[in-house]
Amino acid sequence: SPANADLEDEVQPTAKSAEDRKAAAALSKLDTHGGDDDDDATPAREVDQEAVKNAMSALGGAASVKPGEEKKEVKKVKVDAADVALLVEELELSKAKATELLKAHDGDAVLAMKAYITPVF
Amino acid sequence: MPQQQLNTREANLFRTVVRHYEDKQYKRALKAAEQILKKNPKHADTLSMKALVLNAQGKPEEAFSLAKDALTIDMKSPICWHVYGILYRTNKNFDEAIKAYKFALRLEPDSHQIQRDLAVLQIQMRDYQGYVQSRFVMLKARPHMRQNWTALAIAYHLEGNLPQAENILKTYENSVTSAPAKTDLENSEAVLYRNTIIAEMGQTERALEHLETDAKHSLDRLAFMELRAKYLTQLGRKEEAAKAYRALLERNSEHPAYYTALTSVLGIPADDESALKAIYDEYAEKFPRSDAARRLPLDFLTGENFRTAAKSYLNLMFDKGVPSTFANLKHLYSDPQKKATLPTLAEEYLAEHQGGQDGKGQANGDSSKGKGAALFFLAQHYNYYMSRDLAKATEFVERAIELDPQSVDFHMTKARIYKHQGDLAKASATMDYARSLDTKDRYINSKAAKYLLRNNENEKALATMGLFTRAETVGGPIADLTDMQCMWFLTEDGEAWERRGNYGMALKRYHTIFNIFDIWQEDQFDFHTFSLRKGQIRAYIDMVRWIDRLREHPFYFRAALDAVKLYLTMHDTPAGTNGVNGTSGKNANGEDAAERKKALKKAKKEAQKAEREAAEKAAKQDPNKAGAQKGKEVEDLKKKDDDPNGLKLAATTDPLGDSIKFLLPLLQFSPKNIEGQLVGFEVYFRRKKYLLALRCLSAARALDPENTRVQEQAKRLREAVGPTLSSANAKLKEVIESAL
Amino acid sequence: MDIRPLRPDDIPLIQHANLENLPENYFLKYYLYHALSWPQLSYVAVDVSRPKRTPYDYPKIVGYVLAKMEEEPTDGVQHGHITSLSVMRTHRRLGIAEKLMRQSQLAMVETFGAHYVSLHVRVSNKAAIHLYRDTLGFKTEKTEAQYYADQEDAFCMKLDLSPIREQIREAAAESGTKSTKDGA
Repeated sequence: SPANADLEDEVQPTAKSAEDRKAAAALSKLDTHGGDDDDDATPAREVDQEAVKNAMSALGGAASVKPGEEKKEVKKVKVDAADVALLVEELELSKAKATELLKAHDGDAVLAMKAYITPVF
Repeated sequence: MPQQQLNTREANLFRTVVRHYEDKQYKRALKAAEQILKKNPKHADTLSMKALVLNAQGKPEEAFSLAKDALTIDMKSPICWHVYGILYRTNKNFDEAIKAYKFALRLEPDSHQIQRDLAVLQIQMRDYQGYVQSRFVMLKARPHMRQNWTALAIAYHLEGNLPQAENILKTYENSVTSAPAKTDLENSEAVLYRNTIIAEMGQTERALEHLETDAKHSLDRLAFMELRAKYLTQLGRKEEAAKAYRALLERNSEHPAYYTALTSVLGIPADDESALKAIYDEYAEKFPRSDAARRLPLDFLTGENFRTAAKSYLNLMFDKGVPSTFANLKHLYSDPQKKATLPTLAEEYLAEHQGGQDGKGQANGDSSKGKGAALFFLAQHYNYYMSRDLAKATEFVERAIELDPQSVDFHMTKARIYKHQGDLAKASATMDYARSLDTKDRYINSKAAKYLLRNNENEKALATMGLFTRAETVGGPIADLTDMQCMWFLTEDGEAWERRGNYGMALKRYHTIFNIFDIWQEDQFDFHTFSLRKGQIRAYIDMVRWIDRLREHPFYFRAALDAVKLYLTMHDTPAGTNGVNGTSGKNANGEDAAERKKALKKAKKEAQKAEREAAEKAAKQDPNKAGAQKGKEVEDLKKKDDDPNGLKLAATTDPLGDSIKFLLPLLQFSPKNIEGQLVGFEVYFRRKKYLLALRCLSAARALDPENTRVQEQAKRLREAVGPTLSSANAKLKEVIESAL
Repeated sequence: MDIRPLRPDDIPLIQHANLENLPENYFLKYYLYHALSWPQLSYVAVDVSRPKRTPYDYPKIVGYVLAKMEEEPTDGVQHGHITSLSVMRTHRRLGIAEKLMRQSQLAMVETFGAHYVSLHVRVSNKAAIHLYRDTLGFKTEKTEAQYYADQEDAFCMKLDLSPIREQIREAAAESGTKSTKDGA
């Protein structure tokens, strides 16, 4: 129908040459998820469900960190707001980065700044 | 307040919207959405879907406001939050996108789609811990899919937890009951991936064993052979390693690393020239067309041995007329004896080939061979900075041209000689002549354009490039070159504009390059899922690691350094003043600020003219043109540039502030390049951020303590800091004093 | 000269070589698509004689072959395709293009079980046609009218890879194991 013809227009490739159309077609298909999340996608090989279950529960311990606990051993370091402000001003860091840097140096602003300006190579 | 429920018919319609959206049928999706909204104007999920479609059609503002409306109607809809996240994601605000996805996921913890979108963003942002968690959840939901196991292994691998990465891969292998097909590429690659992880853990012995058993039938034969040879070498199993490298040389005799590895495992002493040479000769004989086997010995041979080998190599190359002969040998010039020997051999060749009756050396009439090739070699020799004698270079190139007046290569070298003589106009004219000799060859066309730019002829250079760019691209050659990410042209064009005092155009080009790097960074996005489907995991890991250091690339460095330097110049000589800052008041061409102002004005006029012409052209276009054109117009609209000549960029009141975005990646990704540290100092010094200036200075000092610019900067910093220190923060004072 | 498989970090300079040499150009992402789908098939020729000027120098690419497998072959036969091949003018006559092609063809058979390889070439490109037809043995299948953006026609060429399959089979037989390459 004419209405449909109009609708089809939007998928018309704009590239002129066959070579360009090929590239455009390949790139437009990159982000299609085809298959990876379909429940009915059949795995290529037989998996022993029992073995998988056991393996999963064995893994549980290793990867069961819950959201919110993600940061490993957050240091309980007190940082002085004035020091944070100093680092933000002098090192042009974000507040979060400045705080992080201070914490990494036990809240010692002098040590933190010295470390920051020391070449790492 | 939760949104109203849809009836069955509308619920079906809603699914249609989603499907059309996924198939990129945006008009159909919109139509279906409108149908639902007609009866249910406050249906939040449909409003969100509509926002998504609008976003895909290039209307991000409308999309965002609609998505916000939808959220106000129903704060508890996972769809609304998910869409909100997608909008942020397509507008490249990844942090906000992650937040929105996490919200959505809290409302609908079992949604595979939301989890997947979150995971992709986490790896894109290199949140490895988050990625591990997401992939763990995804594996738990679908453990029958191998790619979910591989993905979790990748997550652990990138996080640095190698044992766990291997463990995941192994666990999957152990839970599979059927043997893989020998043509199963996903399996072949996963096994090799596991092998590289074992090797990365330093367990070479086990890696070799695993390779020879589990990966024995790997479909990537080259990778298998290379890994095996490497492991055998590392384990000191020299005899087998030698055999392995010989097998690799049989495959590819043009890979220098195989020769060095072979001679090393054979235990041949580095100074035993004849024993080393014998190995290469063996392959030169076996593969008559191999270049490496003949050329590489020239690197280690000395004295008479070198002379003999070089003579036979040169004779062969001259007879064949290989244009890269000089390029392939010039690295030998660091050895004075070799530098002296090579031209005498070329002269000898000329003398030996003087006698031909036709006077042109070669019977077949191809003058790029034989005598012509030797003359060409000598012209390049005398044009090279380590052996430069431009009068002699000219003499040889003229003799070559006399032999073959139509040779593109000869004229190309003649142009280079002019360049080294400092005559950029002649160089450019000569290169353009070379171009005219072969108008179908883009290489010489590119060179001609480059030489035009070196001579500040931007317009002519662009027209030359235009001979090969696509005619149909809206916006002409520059739009095509920008689209196609032609870095060298954009850089050279910017530099030429800068020399001409047109800072707007120069900044425009440097910013374009910056943006292309953003595009490249973004290009990895689709591959986080795509590569799992394709199963080529090792290549994917290589890509991730490369993207992490993307901006160390010299393409970035050069343009960013140009930009920072230009911003410094602009800071030192603000437009409107007349170079009051003394020496720095002049730019490279000696044009002062007044001239810059003039150039700006001219650029503005040109921009207005271009705009007018574009408007006229658009007005002339037939409004009833067929649909195919419409899609293109939408695209062109998206691309419309509101500052094509960089006037806005040049009008900045804070050039130093603007320079920071270019500077930070220079310092972060190429810290060992002293040029970046030197300009970093200049920027921070002017901004009175003395600690940051000191940081650059310390780095520069560590790289090259003798550098006079470093010493001069240190002096300036001491003088500037002295008077201000007494009033400075005590902690700051302590740090600066200890470091100075 | 060094001939070796392409790595992702080669891509900016491959794109550079392509832009310098050929009128058919691609986004970086299209190169990535090749490098991440069929990393075994694309090769580069690198000028290794240039001393590094900074620690961040990348090897200069003087030639490359960008190759792929046809994703949905219309004839149902697994086969490779050459997307782009070029060698800098300054590095011609060393046989680089041929060497790149041969490495790629071998991998097409070994890794993906390709039966043949196809390519497009401008009908006016005599040097390339000579390489494909006379040196490598390609046959012209047909002419595709106005294949290129400037309306030039393309020859569609094909090379049967069964000699390589045969070689591999023989080598495998010699070493006492059965051929593993031919699942069919």
